[in-house]
Parts: sequence; C-alpha cells; structure tokens
Amino acid sequence: MLEGKFDEASLLKKIVESIKDCVKLCNFNCTEHGITVQAVDDSRVLLVSLLVGLSAFSEYRCDRDITLGIDLDSFSKIIKCGNNEDYLTLLAEDSPDNVMTIFEDKKKERVSEYSLKLMDIDSEFLRIDDMEYESVINMPSTEFSKIVRDLKNLSESLNITVTKDLVKFSAEGESGTGSVVLKPYTDMERPEESVSVNLENAVDLTFGLKYLNDIIRATALSSTITIKLADKTPALFEYKLDAGGYLRFYLAPKFDEDD
Amino acid sequence: MSEAAKRTWSDNSEGAHSLPAASQNIDSHLELTQSQQQLLKKVKRPNGDDEPLVFEQELVEMTQRAEGVHEEQQLWSRPQLPENYLENDVTFQQLDAEEAIHGDTTVARFFGITEEGYSVLCTVTGFLHYFYVPVPRGFTSAQLGAFKSSMKANWYGIHDITIELKESIWGFSNNVKVPFFKVVVANAKDITKIRGAFERGEVSFENYFSPGQNPSYDNINYLLRMMIDCNITGMSWMSLPKGKFTLVDPAMKLSTCQIECVIDYRDILSHPSEGEWLKMAPLRILSFDIECAGRKGVFPEAKEDPVIQIANVILRQGDQRPFVRNVFTVNTCAPIIGSEILSYQEERDMLMGWRDFVVKSDPDVIIGYNTANFDLPYLLDRAKALGLPKFAFFGRMFNIKQEAKDSVFSSRAYGTRENKVVNIEGRMQLDLLQFIQREYKLRSYTLNSVSAHFLGEQKEDVQHSIITDLQNGTAETRRRLAVYCLKDAYLPLRLLEKLMCLVNYTEMARVTGVPFSYLLARGQQIKVISQLFRKCLQENIVVPNMKSEGGNEEYEGATVIEPNRGYYDVPIATLDFSSLYPSIMMAHNLCYTTLLNKASIQAFNLSEDEYTFTPNGDYFVKESKRKGILPTILDELLTARKKAKADLKKETDPFKRDVLNGRQLALKISANSVYGFTGATVGKLPCLAISSSVTAFGREMIEKTKNVVQEKYSKANGFPHDAEVIYGDTDSVMVKFGFEDLETCMKYGEEAADYVSTKFIRPIKLEFEKVYFPYLLINKKRYAGLYWTRPDKFDKMDTKGIETVRRDNCRLVQNVITKVLEFILEERNVEKAERFVKQTIADLLQNRVDLSQLVITKAYSKHEYDGKQAHVELAKRMKQRDPGSAPSLGDRVAYVIINSSSTKNYEKSEDPLYVLENSLPIDVNYYLENQLSKPLMRIFEPILGDKKAKELLSGAHTRTVKMSAPKSGGLMRFAKKAELCKNCRTPLKPNNHGAVCENCISKAPELYGNALAQMSYLEHKFSRLWTECQRCQGSLHQEVLCSNKDCPIFYMRKKAQKDVNQQAQEIKKWDDTEW
Repeated sequence: MLEGKFDEASLLKKIVESIKDCVKLCNFNCTEHGITVQAVDDSRVLLVSLLVGLSAFSEYRCDRDITLGIDLDSFSKIIKCGNNEDYLTLLAEDSPDNVMTIFEDKKKERVSEYSLKLMDIDSEFLRIDDMEYESVINMPSTEFSKIVRDLKNLSESLNITVTKDLVKFSAEGESGTGSVVLKPYTDMERPEESVSVNLENAVDLTFGLKYLNDIIRATALSSTITIKLADKTPALFEYKLDAGGYLRFYLAPKFDEDD
Repeated sequence: MSEAAKRTWSDNSEGAHSLPAASQNIDSHLELTQSQQQLLKKVKRPNGDDEPLVFEQELVEMTQRAEGVHEEQQLWSRPQLPENYLENDVTFQQLDAEEAIHGDTTVARFFGITEEGYSVLCTVTGFLHYFYVPVPRGFTSAQLGAFKSSMKANWYGIHDITIELKESIWGFSNNVKVPFFKVVVANAKDITKIRGAFERGEVSFENYFSPGQNPSYDNINYLLRMMIDCNITGMSWMSLPKGKFTLVDPAMKLSTCQIECVIDYRDILSHPSEGEWLKMAPLRILSFDIECAGRKGVFPEAKEDPVIQIANVILRQGDQRPFVRNVFTVNTCAPIIGSEILSYQEERDMLMGWRDFVVKSDPDVIIGYNTANFDLPYLLDRAKALGLPKFAFFGRMFNIKQEAKDSVFSSRAYGTRENKVVNIEGRMQLDLLQFIQREYKLRSYTLNSVSAHFLGEQKEDVQHSIITDLQNGTAETRRRLAVYCLKDAYLPLRLLEKLMCLVNYTEMARVTGVPFSYLLARGQQIKVISQLFRKCLQENIVVPNMKSEGGNEEYEGATVIEPNRGYYDVPIATLDFSSLYPSIMMAHNLCYTTLLNKASIQAFNLSEDEYTFTPNGDYFVKESKRKGILPTILDELLTARKKAKADLKKETDPFKRDVLNGRQLALKISANSVYGFTGATVGKLPCLAISSSVTAFGREMIEKTKNVVQEKYSKANGFPHDAEVIYGDTDSVMVKFGFEDLETCMKYGEEAADYVSTKFIRPIKLEFEKVYFPYLLINKKRYAGLYWTRPDKFDKMDTKGIETVRRDNCRLVQNVITKVLEFILEERNVEKAERFVKQTIADLLQNRVDLSQLVITKAYSKHEYDGKQAHVELAKRMKQRDPGSAPSLGDRVAYVIINSSSTKNYEKSEDPLYVLENSLPIDVNYYLENQLSKPLMRIFEPILGDKKAKELLSGAHTRTVKMSAPKSGGLMRFAKKAELCKNCRTPLKPNNHGAVCENCISKAPELYGNALAQMSYLEHKFSRLWTECQRCQGSLHQEVLCSNKDCPIFYMRKKAQKDVNQQAQEIKKWDDTEW
C-alpha cells in the first residue's frame, strides 16, 4: 500500500511538467525512502533522475517497494485538474493496476478523485554513480534558463568553458555568434542570486541545445541550479527540491566525430 | 520432422503467444507468430512436400532422368546433319533477325532452328528499301523518266522511282487514292539522306517541289519493312523450297550454323502462325552465372577481380530437365553428383574453356539474372584485362566480336533505364531481371526475393567477401561455392518456365510481327506500328513520317463515379465493359482514316447520318462510308483472341495450352495498346482526336449505365428494391440490387448486363463478371471484397489499392491488413480481426515483432531529390560507413525507423543489419502512427464507426511496453544497469541474492520455471531457424553463411540468436537465489 500526501499539488505538477517532454513513459519506484524515477529520453542521450524525499510529503507510507508505470502525458492531464494549493494524495495497492490521485481543497469540502491506468513498462534501470567533477557551478536557475533560450536561437550546440573565476557560455551559428560570461558574485541579501564557481581543472565542453532546452523546463522547481562538469563525462544538472529531494539530468557532452 | 512436432508448429500459434512472454507455461511449445509461420510456409517447397529442399538432390534426379547421358560426359554439340537433308525443303523457326551488308547491298539475316534441332543461317537477298513522297501537283507520268534520271544524277543510292496510287492514313479522303512516288534505294543506309532531302525541300525538279517542309511517307527500318512486305512475323516458321536456295561454300561460311544458305526474298515461304505452325523448335536455352573473387568492401571490378566460377545449365525447349549442367572452376573442386566439374588452374584457361563450351553447345537463347548488365560485360572486360582477344567471339558469326555498349532506353510505360547491351549474333538474349522489371511490380528485384515471390523458394545469399574466402579454401569449400553458383544459374531457368517468358514473348512477337529482340529492347509503340504498317500494306495506305513534337498535352482521362463508401453485407454485382476502349473505337469507327473536320465534311458533302460527332467535339465518318483501319485491326485481334480462347478450352496438351494462353494474352495486350498509341504525344503518330474521343465516350457510357440500371431496377418500376450504383471506375460499375442472396443478385446481374448492352452500339458489350460479397468500399480505387463467380463458393479475396500491395509499406502492414481482411471478409468475424490487430500492436510495443516485418524499401532512383528522404539519406550515411556494401543508384534501399535524437524521419532511418548488430531501438510509435494507423482506420471506420475504431490504437493492449536501454553513447559509459526484481520491477538492493526481491520470493519457483521455459522456447526456435537455413543452403552439417537481406528467415535467425544469448544471461542471474 502506497499513500503519499503532498501539502500542495503544485510540487508534483511542476515535477511532471519538467520531465514529460523528454520522457513519455517511466516507472515511478516507490520505497520507504520516497519516490524515485530513473529514465532515459527517446534518443538515449539524456538521463533523468528524480528523488522525492520523505520530507516532501506531509504524510507518507509505503509498506513494500512498488513500481508504477506511468504515461506522463495522461498523468499530467490529471494533475492539472487540481488547484495548486490543494492537498494531493497518491494512492496505490501493493500490486497495482492503477494509481489514484486525490485532490482536497483546503477551504471547501471539495474532494476530487482520479484514477490512472498503469502501464507495464519493461525497461532497464540505470544508475550513474557519484563521480569526481572538475568544476562545479552554482547559479540562479532563471539565469541559466535565459542563457539557454537566448543562445538556442543561434545554434544547435552550446559550449561551456570554465576557467579560473569565469564561466563562458557560447554558441556559434550560421547567422552569427553569441556568448554570455558570468563571474562569481555573492548577493548577501538574496543568496539565490549568487553565482559561485569551484574549479579544480578548466573544462571546455559542448552540449546539444535541444537537450538543454528540455532541462530548463525544471526551472520552476528551484531558484538555483548546480552544474557539475568534467572532461568527457556526462554533465550533471541538478535542481534541488526545497521540500527534500532533487531532479537531476545527466547529459553526455558532444564528442568529435572520430571519438 | 515428426508428425507431432509439425502439429504443434502450426496449431498452437494463437493461444500461448498472446500471453505476455513472461507468463508462458513450462510446457508451452515453440510458437511463432502467424505471420512468421506464413513466411515459413511460403518459403517451403511449392509442391507442398515436407522433404527439405536440397538442390543437390534435384541435380541427382536430373541425371537419373536424362537417360543415356553420363554425368561426366554430357553431350554438348548439336546432332549431326544427315547427308541428304538439304535435298528437301528446309523449314525452320526463325528466332533472331538482323540487317546486314552483303557485298554492297543490304540484306536480312535470319537465324533459326529446324524442327530436328539443326541450326540455320538464312541470308535473304534482293529486297530493296523504299519510301513514298506525294507526287506534286501538275506532275505528269510522262515526266517520270526525266525526273528519275535527274534524281539518280544528283543523289547517290537511288535505285528506282515509280508512281503508285496510295492514300494517306491521316484524315478521311473520300476513298480516293492519289499518286505517290515510290523511291527505292539500293542500299538501306542511304535512305535517311534521300528522305531528308525530300522533306527539307532540297530536291528540285522543274520547280515542282516547294522548298521547306514536305512530308514523306512510310518511315520504318529495313528489317521490319522486309518482314512486313514478305509477311514474316517474329518467331514464325518459314520454308526455303528446294532448289531455290543456294548453300554457302563451307570455306566461305560466316557462321557456326550447320546450314548456311542464301535465298531471294521472293522465294521464301512464310507460314502464318496458326495450327501446326504454333509449335516451337527445340531451342537450346543456356542459363549461366559467374562468381568473382572480390576484395572486401569493394564491388568486383573486372580490371582487378578474377572470375573464379561459371555455372551453366542448358535446357532444350520441350524437355523436362536440362541436358547440360556444369561448373567451370579455377582451382580444384570436389565433385557434385549430377554436374560436370571442369577445373582449370588458370583463370584465363577457364575463360577460354567457357568460350569453347558456348560455341560448341551453341545455345539459341542465353538467359540469366542481370546478365546483360553484369555477367556478360564483366566477362568481356575481364578477358580484355587478361589479354584474351579470342574470348570475345562466342556469337554465331565468326567475324563479329562481342562488345558491351551502353544504351539508354526511355519509355513512358517503363521509365528510363540505362543498360548495357552485348551483341551476340544469332543468339537471343533474355535477361530475366529486365523481363521481371518490365512485367512485374515487386518490392525487390534481387534474385532471392524474385524466386521467393514466384517459386516460393529462398536461396542462400553469400556475401562478396565470403566468396573470396571460400575460393581460397579447399576443394570442399569451392564445391560449396559451385553448388551455390549452379543454383543461381538454374533459378533463372525455373523462372523462365514459371513465368512463361519465352512462350508469352514468342506469341507477342508473332501477334505483333516484330522480331523477338524488340520486345525487351524497344517500347510499346513499335509493336503497334508493325501491325499498322502490315494492315496499311494490304489497303494501299501510307503513313506520314511525323516529327514527334514532344508536346505535353494532357487530355481528360476516364471517369470515376463518386463511391458511396461503406461496408456492404449484401452482394454487390459488378458489370464490366469488356475491352472497353477497343470496342469504343470499333463501335464508333474511330481511326486516322475516318477523321474529319468541318472543312472536309463540307468538301465531301457528307450528311449528318454519315458521320459521328463525338462527345469530345471531333468528327469521324461512319463505317458505311469507310471502315477505319484501326477498327479493322482491333476487330481482327479480338476475333483472334476469341478463337484462341475457344481453342484453349478444347486443347488438352499442356504445352499447346500454354502457347494458346500466351497468344490470347498477347492479343489482349495488343488490342489495348492501340488506344495508348493514338494518345502518346511523343509518339510516331499521335492523334488526340481519337484518344480523347475514346475516353469521352467511355465517361458518357459509365454515366449512362448508371442511370439506365437505377431507372430500370427501381421501386417505381415495380422492382422490390431501389438498385443503387455505389461505385464505378473506367470500365465497370458496382450495383447494389438489394437482395441478400447471391443467386438472385447474379441473375439480375446477368439480366442488367444484357439489358444495358442493348442500349449501346455493337460491339460494345456490358458483361456481368462477378459479385462482391461482402464488399468494403473505402474510397476511389480502394476496395476489398470476396469475389464470387459461382453461388456455391467464392473464388478469391480481391483487393484494390489497399496496403496489401503497396511497396512503400513495411511487411507488417501488409500482413496485418491481409489477415484483417481475411477475418472480416472470409470469416465474417470482425471481433477476431480486432483481437488480431490488438495483439499485433501489443507485440509491436513490446518489441516482439520481427525486424524483417518492419523493413521498408524504396528505390534509390536519382541523386537529387527536393526534400531529404529517409532512404536517400541512409544510402549516403551507409556510403560513409562502407562504400562497398552501400546501396547504389537504382537499388532498392531497405531501412527501418529507429529512435534517435532527431525527430526527422530522414535522420531516423537505419540499415536493418546495422540495427540488428548494434541492437538499436526501433521507433515503435512511428510504425504504429505512420504505418499501421491509417490503413487500419480506413478499414475499420466504415465497419466499427469512428470512435470504436480509434480504440484499436489506444486500448488496454497498448499499456505494456518494452524499452531497451542503449548499448552505446556517451551516457552509457558511465551508467550502470541496476538489476530489477523479475516480478515487480523494483530495483534490487545491493545485498540481494538472485533475481527477485524479498517481497516476491514466494513467486520465485514459478518465475524461474517460466524463465527456463522461455529459454528452451528460444533455443528451439533458433535451432529450427538455423536448420531451415541449412536446408536452404542444401547441407545440414555446414555452418550457415547466408546473409540474404531479402529473406525474413535471416532476420528471424539473427534475432533469435541474440535473444538466446540474452535469455542465457537472464537465467544466470538466478544462480544466487536463496530458495
């Protein structure tokens, strides 16, 4: 039996909206520690890793591990039925055929219930172990989102170079070039506006903007983003959930053709 | 295989397979999906016996049947000519004819075979080429002598000029003949120059000829002219009366023919192809195939890569089995029972040995598969590269060298093709590939798929690179190659028989009168021209030499009655106009010779009942004034066809039946091509007034038929139902009379056809042909139904324009649609059809559909396409990977659509073999949405309605999917696969032992049993497929080498191999389970 209650429906709503464009079908693995999702996009370049920790729920119980195969398109339609402030409860049996979503209005006595038929998704579960990264960037998520959106107009790939005290995002396209340079900055009053760079080695990596564009859909989840980079290694883009947990994207950098 | 095993193979298909793979019981037997089984059945022996196909066994049988021929010494040469043979008339069937220069005059050469099988070369002398020019106004016959001398003095090559009364074919001329000059030339090569001089107005004689454009008449090549004037048709029999022909002195002989003689054209006796003369001479048909030792990744080039084997099979027309079967090999080769092995140490000796073999065995017809474009040119080039000047003489003429020339053949009907042509004097060539490309529309034209399609047999396909390895191996491996090569040589012969190429083309040559070689090398028009000229000669008509304009004038085609779409569960009668266009031309006397315009109507003072005003606005004179030449030709063709069909019914001898059937087909095709000839704007004699009038009449008739039927069979007229014409196209209408039973419907069908026929002019006739019941009318030119001609049993299922036949779909679509139609129409079980569709979609989503089912093929025809296309882009990418195996221009590219980072189809196409090797994920949604959904919706919508039909594509069966993880890519080097519980799919904890999580341990025994059952199922499946391939290659104890991309078994075998490996790994995971 799974029973997970969110204080506000908006959290789950944002999570689903963040990943449904790159992953259409995925398994929600529910354990006593919370809910995790590991999924690869269709082109198998982007790995999505989600953890919704116990603290994100106001009430949580999961007697045994269960897997919910969910069609995110359909699930997102259900989630949109609730108001952002509603309580949201997920309910499932031990060997479930469907999952119940219950919305409760906090003021009125209004309760709505939706049931979603589950899918049997036979996919492999991938893990990426923690790695040593050569540089770690912390920055406002909206800032990163703007950079990606702006440079996407120019090119298909985005180059990120990190040198001492400096991060440069650049794109080169047929119509022209563009770049954004950020330097570490500390805002004491609003720490989420700060930019920090921890550097062990300089890195120079290129990523497909198509995928970055999928990643920035998670901007609403967190005010900051952590980017961890190392040469010839999948980069980690992490949005921490305030309530507990994270949404991580692993994206392989573009290699030269012969590599 | 045992009886019991066979039963499980076929009976148990549906039940167990519809369960998810994981829940199959331990005792479940080997299951293949239905489509897989069908494919297996298809590739089995066509005669239905279950004995494995072993080509070698066939070879042994051939030896046993060919009595008196010892396997080591197959007799190559022709029988000796009896001494007094030439004292009688010589009668032979002429096969190949050509124009040649003999001394300084043009002659025709006929190669032929007598009934006893002696070869003949007959040189026909004395025939002079000619053309016509109208005599200018005011010219009198008294001036002819002076004109002749003046012309002879000014233009070299003129033999004689006479005046004859002729009529031009173009336009009605009130049956008045006018004088024409007949200009006879001594040498056919001068005719173009002299004709040109007349046409351009360069000829001058006392100001009679105006400068500028003047028409000349009767432009046709020498050979056809001679054949027409002597009444000789292609492939006909002719006699040389004794005493009339002279034998060529043996020392002066030009050819290898046993009888070589010269005769004047006036002495030839030509036999019309009727009765006794429908027979065929015992032609020797050689089919051969070569193997080259190529380098890896490069298509063999004659300069570099040696020819290592040549396999030959010769069949005497009329015999059951080939009397020569041999293989020429470089290096030793272990013996093959039933065939002769001729081993040579050196390639050059082998090539010369082969040349001598061809000359000695003296084949009349050389066939093969792609021999025209590959084998023959390759042999010639190779001999040249090796410095063997004597090799290139294997024709019948001693002094004429065989050479490969490029030729471009362009025809509206067949498209543009670039070909190589090798001249082999005296031997007909029939490349089966060219024949099949011309006559059949197929998915793929490789020998594999063609023989699978027509003979129901797959063949081994050995890759170029492996050939070299086999050659460099031992006598045993070379034997392996030799058997393969022999089979490739034997298959074209089987195809030739099966498709009746020789018989049908012979009849076509006889009916249309053109030499056999024209049928493959030339287009449709020459056949009509030959018939037209023959008729014109009889009627003293001459044909203007029109410059083809190449105008692209389009005219309105046939009409289509708007279909009343839906699923009809009542019999639908189909009424057809038989030979619609020919009968319109005959009924309304439409012809060049009857064509009028307003001016000529006035000039000839014709009254209104003497001419026809067509719905297209043209005028033609009626038969009472003059019967047109085209209607006459058509009349003869159709009468001859009726006769051939009547004879066919009576005939019992199978060979004569084939001939008669070929004949009636040739007559039908000829009759129908007359209309096309008048409408071919780039043609010899286009006349849109005729062709557009024909279609206009056709449209009018369909409309009229509809109205007449609906009016007569209506409630207003006392009929129990209102009959409805639900659809009509070109020459047929579909009528719903409203009765539930077949008999009544058929009765009214007959009656209506007869009734409507009375409303039209003879010979237009509406015929009741068949009833469709039930009938699914999807759209214009798209329908399906059961076809009944008798009330007790249906004949077949008939489909038009539905995805069962289209080539740009994958096989999955084809199979699903065929099956669905069978369920709906034959079994009338819509529910079963729905179930089947759901099961197929579930299979697709769970990756259980065979890759071969998903392969799409498209012709890679030209380099420059406007948009990017999937197959073109793939061909480019494959070229980058490996230029040797990449498809080249003209090939059909096979591809599947995979999941990739791109959203564009042209970037998602991939080579099926590459997909198999790298286990790339198939984009199942593409197949569901772009391939299956539309055709399925089209079928199910009229039956189930919009809403229910859509459920087929999105119901519960779509909720189980399989997603395979990538094996490569930047991400996967760092990601690790976590083990999941086999039951509930939760990730296993690191300290977990075995394959299930602690919650599911109670289910472990059952799951493990299933896994083992699955394993044994896969092993069984793989071993069956493997044996199937071994049987196909003809040996059960050798490894399978085949990589035949056209063969569904190949993909199945590869996939099964991979599945077995994967499952073995799965089983291993259970090892640590703590029970």
